[in-house]
Formats: sequence, C-alpha cells, structure tokens
Amino acid sequence: MVALNRLGFAERQPLGDNAKAWALNAPAMVVIALLVAYPIGYSFYVSLQKNNLKRPRAKRFIGFDNYKALLTDHAFLSALKVSALFVLVVLGLTVVLALILALVLNERFRGRGLLLSLALLPWAMPGVVNGLMWRTIFDAKTGALNGLLSQLGVIDDYHAWLTSGTGAFLFTALAQVWNTLPFSVIILLAGLSTIPSELYDAATVDRAGALQRFGQVTLPWLLHPLLIVLILETMNAFRAFDTIYVLTGGGPGDATTTIALLDVQTVLTFTDFGLGSAYAWVITAITLLISVGYIGLLYRKGNFEV
Amino acid sequence: MELTRRHILKLTGLGLTAPALLAACSNDSSSGSGSGDGSVKFEGWDYEAELVQQNLDRFTTTSNIKVNYTPITSAQYVQKVVAEFTGGGGADALYVYDDSLAAWVDGEYLQPLDGLPGVDEVYAAIYPGNAEAMTYQGKRYGLPYYTDANCLTYNTGILTKAGITKPPASLEELEAQALKIKNAGLLEYPIGLPAQLSDTWWSWVWALVFGSGGNLFDDQQNPIMNTSDTVTKDVFAWLQQAANKSKVIDPASLQLLPVPIDNAMKANRYAYTIGARYASRDYNDPAKSKAAGKIRMALVPSLDGKEHATVSNTRMYGLAKDTDVKDDAFKLLTYLGGYDEKKQPYTAKFWFLQRGLGFAYKAMGSDPEITASLKKFADPVVYQHLAEIAKPRNVLGVPWYTEFETEMHKVVQGVLSNQTQPSAAVDSLAQTVETLKKKYS
Repeated sequence: MVALNRLGFAERQPLGDNAKAWALNAPAMVVIALLVAYPIGYSFYVSLQKNNLKRPRAKRFIGFDNYKALLTDHAFLSALKVSALFVLVVLGLTVVLALILALVLNERFRGRGLLLSLALLPWAMPGVVNGLMWRTIFDAKTGALNGLLSQLGVIDDYHAWLTSGTGAFLFTALAQVWNTLPFSVIILLAGLSTIPSELYDAATVDRAGALQRFGQVTLPWLLHPLLIVLILETMNAFRAFDTIYVLTGGGPGDATTTIALLDVQTVLTFTDFGLGSAYAWVITAITLLISVGYIGLLYRKGNFEV
Repeated sequence: MELTRRHILKLTGLGLTAPALLAACSNDSSSGSGSGDGSVKFEGWDYEAELVQQNLDRFTTTSNIKVNYTPITSAQYVQKVVAEFTGGGGADALYVYDDSLAAWVDGEYLQPLDGLPGVDEVYAAIYPGNAEAMTYQGKRYGLPYYTDANCLTYNTGILTKAGITKPPASLEELEAQALKIKNAGLLEYPIGLPAQLSDTWWSWVWALVFGSGGNLFDDQQNPIMNTSDTVTKDVFAWLQQAANKSKVIDPASLQLLPVPIDNAMKANRYAYTIGARYASRDYNDPAKSKAAGKIRMALVPSLDGKEHATVSNTRMYGLAKDTDVKDDAFKLLTYLGGYDEKKQPYTAKFWFLQRGLGFAYKAMGSDPEITASLKKFADPVVYQHLAEIAKPRNVLGVPWYTEFETEMHKVVQGVLSNQTQPSAAVDSLAQTVETLKKKYS
C-alpha cells in the first residue's frame, strides 16, 4: 500500500528484505551468469556443431555427432587411457605422500614452521614454471637429476629421462604431484587438527599401538578431508595440462598426451572448436561421475558421532 | 540509508551505462577493419616489434599514411587473428604464415592481390617456391616478408679434429662421419635434432625427404609415402639406424626443442644439425656462441648422395578482404613486401641486414651489401643455392595439414626411439591422412 505524505504525494516505501537480497545479489548473479554460465552453456552449444575456424563456411549444427565420433576416435581413446592412468598414479602418490607429510607436520617439533613453509612452497608455483623447473632438472645434458645420480655413483652416463614412454609418464606424474601435494597436505592437516586428543588418550589407555591408533582413530576422522582431497586432486590430475605441455609436449608418441592436452591442442592448434568443446564436456562428465562415486563411497562412512 | 526503488533504478542505469562507457574507451574495430581514424591497422607476431615500429615510422614519414601497429605474441598469433576476423574486427594488413594462408582465404579474411600495381613484378622477381607458397587456388595473396630454406649445419672445428675435410653429401656419409667423430671421443652423439613434440613444424623431416628427391604427397595431396615413393620410408630407416644402431643421433633429441639445439650447437656440443639457414648467423656470432666462426652450411645429405632439393617456408604480408582503407593498406604492403620508388626491396633488405632474415628476391643475392653481410656467417654461394632448390610443402592448402604434421611428429618419435618400424610408420601416416580426409569431407 502506498502511503500519502502531508502534501498528498505518494511516499516511497523501502524494499522488503527479500527484494533487497535479490537486488543486492543481482549484480553478482548477472556477472556470474555472463562470465561463467553463459560460456559453459555456449561451449555445450558449440560442441553440437561442426565448427572449425579453418573452415568457417562449413560450420553447421550436427547434434551429438561430435560425441558419437569420440567412440571411434583413436586419439581420444588413447588420451583417455593415458589420463586414467595419470590420475591413478598422481592420486595414489599424492594421497600417500600428503598423508605422511600431514602426520609429520601435525607433530610438535623444532623447525616445524620452516618445514611447513617449505612444504607449501610448490603450491605457489604456476604449472608452467613447475614444468620448466622439472625440465631443467631432467635435462639429459645438464640436469640436476643426472648430476646427483652420477655423483652418488648410481649411473655411469647421463640419461635422457624423458625419451622413453614409461620414463616420460612417470617423471611427468612426479612433477604434477610435487606441484599439487601441498594443497592436499593443508586439507589433511586441517582435518588432523580437529581430532580430539582424548580419543588418542583413550586409545593409548586401551594399549592401542601407533598403527592401531592410526587405523581406528586418525583414518576414520580423516575420511571427509580425504574425500575433498580425492575429488579435487582427481579433477586436477584429469585437467593437468601446463606441466605436461612444457615438460614433454605430450610425447614421446602419445605417452603423455592426456585428454586435457588433446583438448587444448584440438581447440587452439587445430582450431576445431566443435570437437574440442565435446572433449571438454566429456572431461567434465567423467570428473563429475568420479566425484559422485567418491561421495557415495566415503561420505556416509565418515559421518559419525563423537 | 534506506534502499528504495529509486536507488535501485539509479544503480541499474549506471550498470547499463558502464559497458557503453567501456566500449567507448576501447579501440573501435566494430566496422570490421580500420582504426576509425583513417590509419591502417597492421598486425604481426611480436618478432622484433621495435624494429618493425621503426620501419613503419619511416613509412609514415615518407607516405604520410598513419599505421596503427599491434604486435601479437607469436604463440597465439593464429588464434588471435582468427578470433578477430571471426568477431568482425580484423586488421587491414597483417603477417600471414604460409600454412595459414589457405584457411584464411577460405575464411574470407584475405583478398587476392592479382592486378594490383607491382604485384606481377614482385612475383617475377622472387624464387618460384616462395611464389608458390603465396598462391592459393591460382590467386596471389601475399607479398614476401621473409623466407628460409633448410640446410645441414656443421661445425668445422669438430670435423677438422676428426680429420674430416668436407661435409657429407649422402646420409650414409653423414653417419660414417658422425661415427668417426664419436669413435675419436670428440662427441658421444654428434648429431642433434629438435624432436620434442611442439606446435611448430619439423622442417628437418621434410628437408630430409625433399633432400633425397622424395615427397610425402602427390600433387593432389594423396599420400604416397607408403606406395609409389619409398624415400620417406628409407629416410625413416636411416634415422632409426643412426639413432639406435650406430647411435650417432642424440637420444635426448626427443626432449629437445629448437632453442636447446641452437644452444648446443653454439656450445660445440653437436657437430651436425639440420635446420634453417638463419640459425647460422647466431651460431657464428662471437657474442653469443663459442662455436663462432666454425659453423658452416651445406646441402641436406641425400640417400643417393646426389643433389635434389630442400624445404622452404614463407612468411608474407596479406591484405584484409574487408579493409576500408585498401589503397593505403596496399601501399603499406608494397613498402613492406614489394619494391620502393628506387625499385629496391627496401624492407626485405632492411630485415636481412638487421637480423639476417632470408629474402625471397633472387637479385638480392648479388647485392654487394648483402653478400658482404652474408659472408660473416655463411658461404653466399651455398646460401643462394639452397634458396634456388628449396620448395614448399605441397599440403599447405589442405585444412588437415596441422593435424597431419602433429601426427607425423609422434610417428617420427616412434621411429627414433625404435618403437615403430619405418614401414609401419609410413603406413600409419597414410592411414592418418585417410582419416583426416574423411573428417574434413
């Protein structure tokens, strides 16, 4: 209802809480819609097109043909296999190493702060810089790895570590783990700090050994942080691009051509936006499926009363 | 302060005005081309941008035509130009790679130069290989920026120490010489090749095939590497043998990009490599190279020891199809890639003298100033001869070329690392071509 003032004009009423909330959030929502939702939706639309910038006149709507073609696309299937293996190796190494590092950093000892800072340092490094650093370390002529192993007497001659398929794959995975490990450590460290010390005291009274305390107390309490680590690291490993691109370019052969690398190559080098967008949506779908799987497996198990 | 509808309307109005203000502040390119002030919008990759600007300033002074120059990072040049033209805001004149030409013509970004003043004269004066690379479907689309041909680059210091007096003419001879260097304990791996996967073409593979008189494709762009032309297979067999049997090709090549190879040549760590003539200028620069004065170039060794050909690339200046300032843009193109009022290719000469960029004009080879400069890093006769026998890849006009090139890198890596046999490699390449043809049909 519009109230009238003394001069008889309608007086403006302040907005209600709901309207205010919408009004205040609207700019952010518009920005998000323009910068995030629209490109995502548009990329799906592009994935339904034959759309290669080299042949603009051949552009047309082809429905799900790009997706159907993936089933017989040798490059895609090979990259998918490499990516799956890459995720397994990176995830396995990350979880084990992050858990060990978090357990160590959770203890009180002199120099803990320094070690914590050092452990977090790789996280601050951009993927490209990480790739360049490891390329220098793995260099066949002047690399630090060759120098170290040679001085330790492990090898007689310098090796070209990235020239065999297996070597390139493992060293690339190692470089990726080094870059993303700190993030997992932080999450697990945060999880460890929430475990009540009484539980350890009780376990000690019950004569539980270190392994039993880890299995019966630490691990169940870490299931939720582990879930986050698994989801985020799977996404990271599946989308890994910059480190691999700089380190091996995807070679030798197809040994390190992951699906993300293939996607970037398809879009930016081959300028095939239709197929490249289809690749991107497949990556998204796979990561989503894996994440849902993780949640189904781990979420309930970690949900218990103290 | 209470938030009223009036406030909301004011803020909304401001929000709607902001993009318009931002758009007004940005460079006006909505008309499809031109800078809006009558100047010529010119784009190129960011090689020596300051020198480019310096040369453009000279053009503006002499012609009174303003040029709005934008250097674009090399790694993203093709993508950015495509994005600009797709969005309707391309340049009036621009650099064009020979392997982008067909796509950009088909995309209707460029217009032919046939019939424009001086174009026939330029095409008559340049090497046929460069003219071929700038021609698509019978029409001429570019004036030459620079060109280069591949050669065998060798270190005379290392060869002399091994008792070798002349460069190899055949691949067999190259392997034998490299083995001699290896056995003399001078270098463990005398030959280095840039064989890490990358987005750039592997000119040395084409040079080896052309160098032995072969080709991967016939004139209709059908693959012949696994049928009528056995040169590619034989070249692959030689590569495999040299990498895995005699072990004269460095296995680390698979993790080396062109720059590390250049650095290794400059540090006397390789006796031979195959690459562009241009690199010899740096290799022989005492300020940059320990091998300065020792690096020479020769024809690419062949399977039979006879002289055949080599591969060339051409970078050119193109004219946008929808330019609003065609006359001025073409004047700029002529200044950059054609003849000046004294009938001299001023800019081509400028680039050679400044940075040693290869030239497409045949007559420049006998210019005393050019020859004097050339002698500092190469034998002018060999340099010129390479230009004369160089030819472009005959698949630059097909839309699937980039995909094929990328796949070829992987196959050659397989050959070098002994994972793929030469016959399987050429079969695989032919199969790739068939798949790509279907994809683009």
